[in-house]
Amino acid sequence: MAAGESLMTAMAIEGYHAVLTKSFGSQIRGGESSCRLRVSTDRVLNPGGTLDVAVALNWDDFLRFGGELPVDGRTVVIYDSKTKVAPDQLPLTEVTPAVALAVPIQDMARQHAGTDKAKNIVVLGLLSGWFGLAREGILGGIRKKFAKKGEQVLQGNERAFAAGLDFAEKNPLQLDMVMAPSKPSGEKNLLVDGNEMCAAAAIFSGCRFFGGYPITPSSEIMQFLARELPKYGGTVLQAEDEIAGIGSVVGASFAGKKAMTATSGPGMSLKTEILGLATIAELPLVCVNVQRGGPSTGMPTKSEQSDLFQAVFSAHGDAARPVLAPTDVHDVFGVTVEAFNIAEQYQTPVIILSDQEIAQRKETVPAIDTSRFKIVSRQLPNESELQSYVRFRITDSGISPISHPGMPGGNYLASGIEHNERGAPTAKGEIHAQMNEKRIRKLLPLKSRRDLFFIEGDQAAPVAMISWGSVAGMAIEALQLARKKGMRVKLMVPKLLYPIPEEIYNEFFASVKAGLVIEQSHQGQLYRLLRMFVNVPPGVQSMAKSGSNPILPEEVLARLRRLKVRLESGRMPEPEPQLG
Amino acid sequence: MSETTTARPIQEYQAKDYKSELKPIWCPGCGDFGVVSAIYRALANIGRPPHEIAFVSGIGCSSRIPGYTTAYGFNSVHGRALPIAQGIKLAHPELLVLVAGGDGDGFSIGGGHVPHAIRRNVDLTYILMDNQIYGLTKGQLSPTSPRGLKTASTAHGSLEDPVNPLMYVLGYGAGYVAQGTPADMAGLAEIIEEGIRYPGFAFINVQSPCVTYGEEEQQLSAQKQKMQKLKDLGHDRGDRLRAMALAQEYGVQLYTGVFYRNPEPPMTYETAVRGLQTSVSDQAKPAAEILSLFQPS
Repeated sequence: MAAGESLMTAMAIEGYHAVLTKSFGSQIRGGESSCRLRVSTDRVLNPGGTLDVAVALNWDDFLRFGGELPVDGRTVVIYDSKTKVAPDQLPLTEVTPAVALAVPIQDMARQHAGTDKAKNIVVLGLLSGWFGLAREGILGGIRKKFAKKGEQVLQGNERAFAAGLDFAEKNPLQLDMVMAPSKPSGEKNLLVDGNEMCAAAAIFSGCRFFGGYPITPSSEIMQFLARELPKYGGTVLQAEDEIAGIGSVVGASFAGKKAMTATSGPGMSLKTEILGLATIAELPLVCVNVQRGGPSTGMPTKSEQSDLFQAVFSAHGDAARPVLAPTDVHDVFGVTVEAFNIAEQYQTPVIILSDQEIAQRKETVPAIDTSRFKIVSRQLPNESELQSYVRFRITDSGISPISHPGMPGGNYLASGIEHNERGAPTAKGEIHAQMNEKRIRKLLPLKSRRDLFFIEGDQAAPVAMISWGSVAGMAIEALQLARKKGMRVKLMVPKLLYPIPEEIYNEFFASVKAGLVIEQSHQGQLYRLLRMFVNVPPGVQSMAKSGSNPILPEEVLARLRRLKVRLESGRMPEPEPQLG
Repeated sequence: MSETTTARPIQEYQAKDYKSELKPIWCPGCGDFGVVSAIYRALANIGRPPHEIAFVSGIGCSSRIPGYTTAYGFNSVHGRALPIAQGIKLAHPELLVLVAGGDGDGFSIGGGHVPHAIRRNVDLTYILMDNQIYGLTKGQLSPTSPRGLKTASTAHGSLEDPVNPLMYVLGYGAGYVAQGTPADMAGLAEIIEEGIRYPGFAFINVQSPCVTYGEEEQQLSAQKQKMQKLKDLGHDRGDRLRAMALAQEYGVQLYTGVFYRNPEPPMTYETAVRGLQTSVSDQAKPAAEILSLFQPS
């Protein structure tokens, strides 16, 4: 893990693009952990599929990650000879890697640095030597990291790095696999993960209150804000539970502040009642769900996209609320700003569906020009409206100017009970119907937000892909692969998952005879949601897989080819069984 | 915020200025009528304009109270008034924030929030109307119902001991703990006013009888016979252990007045937050440049 971070920082400083995906077992401390680093001279869209290089310090731990770390005949496998496994006897099922190199990593660490802890540094030396990776940058990183631990530790680590380089030089690879020089753009890339990006975007958007409860994999949002928000005069409350977390956020919003909470699956289940309260009381708030494997405790450290139904439907009563999903760390910034803007403009809770993959992976992000982003704040009542204030006035837009405590003349009763325009509780059927209509009508302009739908490829293509969240990066790569092979394909990535804009989908589907909705859940939740609202062409199928093993661009390409063959032979594609 | 000020000449407002036009849904003779009147009186004595007051409740008969005042009200969901009130106070510390609710709202579904509001010491005044029954849902067992009580949900009598609200909050360290009854309106208004003036978390348990589902011995006439003013007993309100000894008599004796008032009120949470904000405010990058935190080095 530490080696991956050091290597990534060094590569980023040298102008490479990279994605670092971390994966953990469920141990509290130690235990198995892995990181995948994908580096390129161009923008990296996803963590990638099969590994070019795999490093195993311990085979038992390596194998626990299974399909998360796929090895095939192209992979160079480097492992500690301490594991006493012969290069032709690797414990990999039905795979013979291109090269298997046993290296006395632990021995070298002990010999040169006097500690097993330096194994990572030996590995960095090996990788730098064999693949031409950022020698100076890594050395600089080592000096920075160990300088404060004293001269002895620093020198030990420098020797360990040199030993790795030396080993690589004396045992050259029989393969031509060297990193091309980077193409520095002059603009420095940022190095950031999705959770920290979300928290920073919240501060930029004007968020000044956060209430939440620690939960994997979202806690870093609260931790970042606890450090940074007080500097901006904001407050972070680590609440006694998930319900109190969102409760305090509703309170802060009622008091006039932009406010946010963040959680993951189990926390979302607990927050549901108060999300409904925010809907009926028409109070803006942003609720981030960093999705993990479910149901219940599920797989806390693994990514999944299986909370879409929950985000859209988990409120009793006729509650509609906007749901947004970012596709990568870069996108988290814009989506978070958008979430605050929509919440404030429409006086509604907005759910951001992030996922563990985006939240905890580090990415090189091109510089973002923040001046391009508009910040929206809630519409306050004017002087004449405050003369005889009607909090929930039924307006043409459905949006009623909102006051807050401290504002003379704006006094009203906010409530979870149905209320009339003035806020007085009511049990009248006709008022309830009017208010439901108002609360849902006010969100309709969102259905024209074409800017929240990324569409690429041949507009008139008969074959289409739709994907969302962190899986979208893989779909973009699959699109590029398919187009290189001469296929006529297009891709849609919705950032707005609810409400569903029928018109935008109908236009997209107009040319489509067959396609795939690609997502990481068992049920294919977006596919089924679309079928509820849109006339999805019958040849469009669900390509859904739950669990944390990545869906690979090659798998998608194979499915697309089968669809194309069927179309060309005039046969409608038949439904295929779910993956995995 | 410039629109709110804390210093106001006393008696600028009268009780009626805090009374809204909404007509209470309570049963005739309900104790809560007396409680809301006492709140109007206390607020008039405090003299803050209604728009500087946020009044939060959960669900239950008594939780309708915010709507019967002219303050900014929030009649929220069952059991969650305290977290919402804390969010309001932390977002806008200049406001006067009141919380009201019943025994079910506060000590059953919302019981988990009480210790945390107390230990954070957010400056809230929590007025709990304790009638030992669920009235709104028509007569089921409540967390303060006595053992053996036959209710709609305990046809054979309750098999559980009740919560002791006074011990509960004293145990967690509440700085102001009092008990009152609408049978003594002047006394009730006085302890509510004192609770509001206490700079920290204040808890007031009100024995507010349910005329429809309550027991005969809880009604106002019986309370008048039974109540003993702590003042008359010579109780030292600065003595927390003695307060706890008296609080043990909950359900047996009806003591009214202030059980405990911390003679040295500790710093409130919002004051500590303000101090933190001030101490780090010079470290803020302009918001437009916040992403520079992520430049690799």
